[in-house]
Amino acid sequence: MGGLIRALGARLLQAALVAMAVGIACFLMVRLLPGDMAYRVAAGRYGMDHVNTAAAEAVRAELGLDRPWWQLLSAWLGDLARFDLGVSLVSGDRVVEELSVYLGHTLLLSVVALLLSALVGPPLGVLLAMRPGSAADRTGMAVGAVLRAVPAFVIGLVLMMVFAVQLGWLPAAGVGGWREVVLPATTLAIGLAAVSSRVARDAMVAVAHSPYLAFARTKGLPEGAVIRRHALRNAAVPVTAYLGVQLVTLVEGVVIVETLFAWPGIGHALVHAVVARDVPMVQGTALAMGLIFVALNAAVDLTCLAIDPRRRPPS
Amino acid sequence: MKRRTLLASLAAAPGVLPGTARAQAPVRTLRVVTPWEIGGLDPARSGYVFQRMQIAETLVGTDAAGALVPLLARAWRLDADRLAWRFALRAGATFHDGTPVTAEAVAAALVRARAQPGPLAQAPVEAITAEAGEVVVRTRQPFLSLPAFLAHSGAIVLAPASYGEGGAVRAIIGSGPYRLTDLLAPQRLDAERFAGWWGPAPAIERVSYLAVGRGETRAAMAEGGQAEIVTTLAPETVDRLRRNARVEVVTVPIPRTRALKLNANLPFFADVRVRRAVALALDRDGMARALLRSPEGAANQFFPPALPDWYIADLPPPRRDLAAAQRLLDEAGWRAGPDGIRARDGRAFRVTLRTFTDRPELPVLATAIQGQLREAGIDLQVAIVNSGEIPAGHTDGTLEMALYARNLALVPDPLGTVLQDFGAQGGEWGAMGWSSPELLAAAARMGEEADPAARRALAQRIARILHDEMPVIPVAWYDYPVAFSRRTAGGSVDPLEISYRIAGMRWAD
Amino acid sequence: MRRVGMRGTRVIGLALLGAVLGFGLVVPLLTGDPMRQDLSATLLPPGAPGHLLGTDHLGRSMLARLAHATRLSLGLAAATALCAAVPGLLLGLLAAWRRGWVERVLVGLADGVMALPGLLLVLIFAAFAPGDFLPLYLGLSLAFWVEYFRLTRSVAGSVFARPQAEAARLLGLGPWHLLRHHLLPELGPMLLTLLGFSAAAAVTALSALAFVGIGLRPPTPEWGSMMTELLPYYEEAPWHVLMPGLLLAASVLGLQLAAGGRGT
Repeated sequence: MGGLIRALGARLLQAALVAMAVGIACFLMVRLLPGDMAYRVAAGRYGMDHVNTAAAEAVRAELGLDRPWWQLLSAWLGDLARFDLGVSLVSGDRVVEELSVYLGHTLLLSVVALLLSALVGPPLGVLLAMRPGSAADRTGMAVGAVLRAVPAFVIGLVLMMVFAVQLGWLPAAGVGGWREVVLPATTLAIGLAAVSSRVARDAMVAVAHSPYLAFARTKGLPEGAVIRRHALRNAAVPVTAYLGVQLVTLVEGVVIVETLFAWPGIGHALVHAVVARDVPMVQGTALAMGLIFVALNAAVDLTCLAIDPRRRPPS
Repeated sequence: MKRRTLLASLAAAPGVLPGTARAQAPVRTLRVVTPWEIGGLDPARSGYVFQRMQIAETLVGTDAAGALVPLLARAWRLDADRLAWRFALRAGATFHDGTPVTAEAVAAALVRARAQPGPLAQAPVEAITAEAGEVVVRTRQPFLSLPAFLAHSGAIVLAPASYGEGGAVRAIIGSGPYRLTDLLAPQRLDAERFAGWWGPAPAIERVSYLAVGRGETRAAMAEGGQAEIVTTLAPETVDRLRRNARVEVVTVPIPRTRALKLNANLPFFADVRVRRAVALALDRDGMARALLRSPEGAANQFFPPALPDWYIADLPPPRRDLAAAQRLLDEAGWRAGPDGIRARDGRAFRVTLRTFTDRPELPVLATAIQGQLREAGIDLQVAIVNSGEIPAGHTDGTLEMALYARNLALVPDPLGTVLQDFGAQGGEWGAMGWSSPELLAAAARMGEEADPAARRALAQRIARILHDEMPVIPVAWYDYPVAFSRRTAGGSVDPLEISYRIAGMRWAD
Repeated sequence: MRRVGMRGTRVIGLALLGAVLGFGLVVPLLTGDPMRQDLSATLLPPGAPGHLLGTDHLGRSMLARLAHATRLSLGLAAATALCAAVPGLLLGLLAAWRRGWVERVLVGLADGVMALPGLLLVLIFAAFAPGDFLPLYLGLSLAFWVEYFRLTRSVAGSVFARPQAEAARLLGLGPWHLLRHHLLPELGPMLLTLLGFSAAAAVTALSALAFVGIGLRPPTPEWGSMMTELLPYYEEAPWHVLMPGLLLAASVLGLQLAAGGRGT
């Protein structure tokens, strides 16, 4: 129980740090960005055909953009503490509302990608570990190394060109049904699976040479039980721990893949917001992604604790 | 706004498995796909979406030739003192919530529209009232173009129930043939046929609108049959779509021009010879062919052929003449230095060109122009910024050069745009540091002139002045390619981009 | 058996990296101007007369642009990796030597930075000045220094705790002695490995950012922005989109294999 509290406490602190850092960085952004914020907002709202000084002045008055900086900073941080993420400078809708829509899409994509990679990666790694050093194993490792090196957007591009355009089997972009999810989720899953299969393979190979496994065999247990009861659980520890590292890849990959496939998720929104310098949206999306990252890490911590009794503090 | 959960998304999947038998035939939806997102409910920001989807209507509409036609207004006339326009309303028009379209409702909507940024705010309107069932618009001076200003999307008429406290729009209750059923801003909306519309019942029952930013994706959706109307096709995809049997591509030239805005207050561009040299150094034909895939789009003047009154027919097509450009620059005192960049009085000819990505071809054009001007000895830095930085730069004087796309028919009469862009102080989207008293006089006279022949002569005069002086340098005119699925029939393209004309379409099978 | 495998993959990695480096260093000296446009000869396929790898959508030589982009990307990546390594190294040494509250503060700082995935950090930096190179550079360095800090701190920590270190300290030998004779032999190879991985990550990040439009300004040739610019033309010229991607993948793979072989 103590370990649980400690782990969660550390993650909560991390979440608070993330929120503070993002909040202050975004406030600095508002002050330091070149160009006039009011014009930028007006351009986003009314479109390039209608943006002019009159529109910009109206926006300036509406948003109170010319208050002194310390007033703005305290208002900013106060809003952040109350989870009032403000209003998007571009669309005028509340950031929290927009985020909830985008969040659903991003979670869908992430979950499908993680599921796909979990279904393919570790089992493949375990299979290869059965015959270490064989031709299949070496080819698998080589393919994995190449896939790890190719960036997610290149993989996605190739998949899009082949499956959406050449063969026309899958739609190239957008949201709608299960077909739209396939390409972006597969793109992410390939990168994740390449890593997790390698880790699983190495972990299984290490476990296969371990003394307790040999002991289990000498005890007379059938091979299947040996693997199931002893090998898998021990191998699962580094694989799950690696999940933490993979989450970084996932979050970064989501940003790129969502933009490539026009998937209306948080990553896509973040990139749009950065390009449009829509600071409340940048803050909101960066915060959301950061907090998701911390939350997923916490989940990984808990899973590790659950699987590996050695991590729990002595009760 | 709805939040889609995993299950909801899967449940809503259209056509989940190919060839799956269905219990009953579903109602077909005509799907429109464009690049433009729905920026909220305010007509000033996203009225164009509701107008094009025929959910909301304006008093005045346009026909295929761009002439004004009655829409919610049955007829209109100018008072004898030429200061008041009276609009008689069509009988029997109702809003989607059942309330009738009254003069009071229209006047309230227009008064609100005038308070928002848009062309109506620029018109010299004094007051908008409802008198004896007519909508009366009083102007400060005779303004003959006023009806055209009421065709603009900001002037759509919404029911009184659409407006909440303080005039904010809470719902879109229009009077058009389609009624809004679902809005998932900024990406999509759904609408269905409204039984109480005053016009002939449309054949298409359900419509939807989807905003997809990537040109490649839109083309893929057209090819794959995922949409029935796909607009603003990217130039590189048009050829491919023309070869596709499922799709019919209609390309219509529209009154939009891509142009270079020059700051004539700078020593570089104050001299008309330098401006002409820049125009000669551009390879407009090459850019139109290779980048825009539209050879007829190379602009030799500001107004395109789509505006016949303003287009000067006897000008030669644009041709690059680097030697002549270099000669003009030499004459103006700009000598080439050892690195090839010209300089005068110790100041190098180095300019920052601002452009934006709202129109995806602009950054590529900017890069091409950068290369072309470099050969003439002008060093251009390209800065891709938010489109708001161009009017901002005009107002604070920091803008040096900009590449932009201008809608010349924001209101169906280009005079509105000319007044905005080439006024005495220049215009945020027009001239900077340049004005012409002769042009202003001609424009003023046009505002009061009713005779079409006289108007045409004045328009030609204005066009000729712009061509000789070149405060803005035209680069290319716009084409508007739209892909229609062959499963539909009766589709047409509105060159003024006011309506998708869905009410006039039907299913081909 | 694994050692032989690792050495083998290292060699492959170095060979790949060397090939890409050679391409980036030598070819720019042989080819023409990567910015020279020719609108009458756009999207020529590889093998067209006069253009070994064809031309892009503005008629610029793909060969010249790819070579310059290689130089740019690898140079930036090396600079970023070093820029992250130096402060990370110094701070790690400081933390391991001083211990106490200095160490706690630095560790807390590092953990704080790690709270956000690197790309997000860089995006936030890039939001300050999209199109400028400096914020990307700063953001990437900020995201990477933590790895160097952690590595240095843990290795230096264990080295300083050894009896030899204690003995050296008692003998009056200064920290330099410890660094050169005890720390460097252990830390050195690990540092090289980390440098290789950081460079690979920097190359990927730069291209990814250019791909989504938050990269360098035109007309600078860069792999990611080349791919974005050529993507609309993939139907008429599929190879043009893929060429920068292949170079990108080759250099990242080379860096990863050369650095550590395992590549995880």
